[in-house]
Amino acid sequence: MNGLTLHHISKSFGSVDVLKQITTHFDAGQVTAIVGDNGAGKSTLLKLMAGIHAPDEGQILLDGEVLSKRCPADHRRRGIDMVYQDLAIAKQHDVVTNLFLGREITRRWGCFLNRAAMRKTAQRELDRLGITIPDLNRPVGVLSGGQQQAVAIARAVLFNPKVLLLDEPTAALAAREVEQVLILIRQQKQQGRVVILVSHRLNDVFAVADRLLVMHQGRIKLDTPSEATTLAQIVEHIVG
Amino acid sequence: MFARILTQNPNRLSLAQCLFFLAALGVFFSFTSPYFLSVSNINNILTASAVIGLIAVGATFVIASGHIDLSSAAVMALCGTVCAWGLQKGEWSPWIALPVSVSLGGVCGLVTGFLITLTKAPSFIVSLGMMSIARAAAYIVSHGMPIYGLPDNVITGGQGAIASVPVPVLLLLTGIFLGWVLLTQTKFGLHALILGDSVFAAEATGISANRVRLKVFGVAGLYSGMAGVLFMLRTNAGDPTAGQSYELIAITAVILGGANLFGGRATIIGTMLGVLCLGVLQNGLNLLAVSTYYQILFVGMVLLAAAFLSRVGYRR
Ligand SMILES: Nc1ncnc2c1ncn2[C@@H]1O[C@H](COP(=O)(O)OP(=O)(O)OP(=O)(O)O)[C@@H](O)[C@H]1O
Ligand SMILES: [Mg+2]
Repeated sequence: MNGLTLHHISKSFGSVDVLKQITTHFDAGQVTAIVGDNGAGKSTLLKLMAGIHAPDEGQILLDGEVLSKRCPADHRRRGIDMVYQDLAIAKQHDVVTNLFLGREITRRWGCFLNRAAMRKTAQRELDRLGITIPDLNRPVGVLSGGQQQAVAIARAVLFNPKVLLLDEPTAALAAREVEQVLILIRQQKQQGRVVILVSHRLNDVFAVADRLLVMHQGRIKLDTPSEATTLAQIVEHIVG
Repeated sequence: MFARILTQNPNRLSLAQCLFFLAALGVFFSFTSPYFLSVSNINNILTASAVIGLIAVGATFVIASGHIDLSSAAVMALCGTVCAWGLQKGEWSPWIALPVSVSLGGVCGLVTGFLITLTKAPSFIVSLGMMSIARAAAYIVSHGMPIYGLPDNVITGGQGAIASVPVPVLLLLTGIFLGWVLLTQTKFGLHALILGDSVFAAEATGISANRVRLKVFGVAGLYSGMAGVLFMLRTNAGDPTAGQSYELIAITAVILGGANLFGGRATIIGTMLGVLCLGVLQNGLNLLAVSTYYQILFVGMVLLAAAFLSRVGYRR
């Protein structure tokens, strides 16, 4: 079965049950949006899929294969990449370094960095994806909030992931940049990727999502094709 | 134009600050003492800086990764003492004694790194524990007394020169070069810096913080071991009291060299300039017959000033 499957996933932090028995499947070539209250467990669910947290119970399967190593390195190697709500970038390091974190191009015994090759590849891939970042040699920390977000998004899509997890990817972006991200999401969908988007911006959600999940207190409260519902109904489900 | 080149890159800015400080010290001391600029005195500065220099290269990795190692000088004393004990009491061949004692430093570092992972305690606390243990071990091995009477071939080797470069300076240069390659050219060096920049960025991209931390402290321990052997060669003895407060001087040198004291940014070249600044300061004060107590006071003031400048000079 192609795509990402969650099978009876539960997760608690201490005495707080954050996710309760979540079972669902995400198809390749489909954009699923997850919406819900602050604290509903959306980020936790995505971090589980990215391998940051291990579930207490349940299994995660990619294309029918159980992901048993439960670490970001393994999940990334298998093609699951994520844009984190707090970006997870190294602000004192330049853009190129951030794009290749954990996937550095090396020469000789895999331990010497090949900076020239990384710079060239970064430029080429960014051009291909239509992402503009002003100066690849500057520390990411001196870029604007929106530009930093662009770096985080670029890092997640640069190596053609099978599954793209986006946690509030448009939070810091201006209208035109939001539009670019939505275009990028549609491109990823057309290339047959599993795209999962967490966002509080319901307009963006309705613009790209094929399917909507509403989460409430660690459970999936509503699961619907997006054309079968309206913005008003979704707001009601989130609030109610 | 010049100002822009400097401010674009925080590394360049702090290197410039450090060079300026070094030049200012140089000018000041050359006016106050006629011997300061003599060849033999410059040689003095370099040899005296060699031991601190090696410890400081190790400290550069530790600070780059967002940690602090207070055990480096005690581990150095332990390695020097064990080496002298092996050569003198154990009658080991130098080809065994030297590598064994340098590796002992590496093992101490690995243990510190492992305990940080195990206890999740801040590195300065864990390394403080290692500092006491290593110092105590040095006293136990030597029964509290310096071990004299090293074999002649070791003494002549340690005080000799290859192509008229003194062996201590040669050791330091090798250590610096290897440290520079490791920090700037390898994946390991980059990952150490990333760990100091953002632990979450490292983990989210599959870089194992525990593994990198272990390697960082292992490398720092190897440098302490090298410093211990060098100290032993220079003094012809394994002294368990060697290098009191050298760890603080090394940390001062790294911060003076422009490293971010919270991690993420550090350079070997900056550290070496920092070591030179402190070496020149100490040497100049010696020539002016300033007492040791005041010299330590000055080092403390330089550390505070460097810490202040590194906050002002760079927005995190
Ligand atoms: N590492 C953690 N340790 C302890 N509790 C956590 C941790 N991460 C999340 N939580 C708790 O889990 C719950 C869900 O958090 P989560 O970040 O998944 O919510 P969210 O739906 O993403 O909210 P938001 O819309 O604000 O981003 C919260 O109550 C939070 O306090
Ligand atoms: Mg969240």
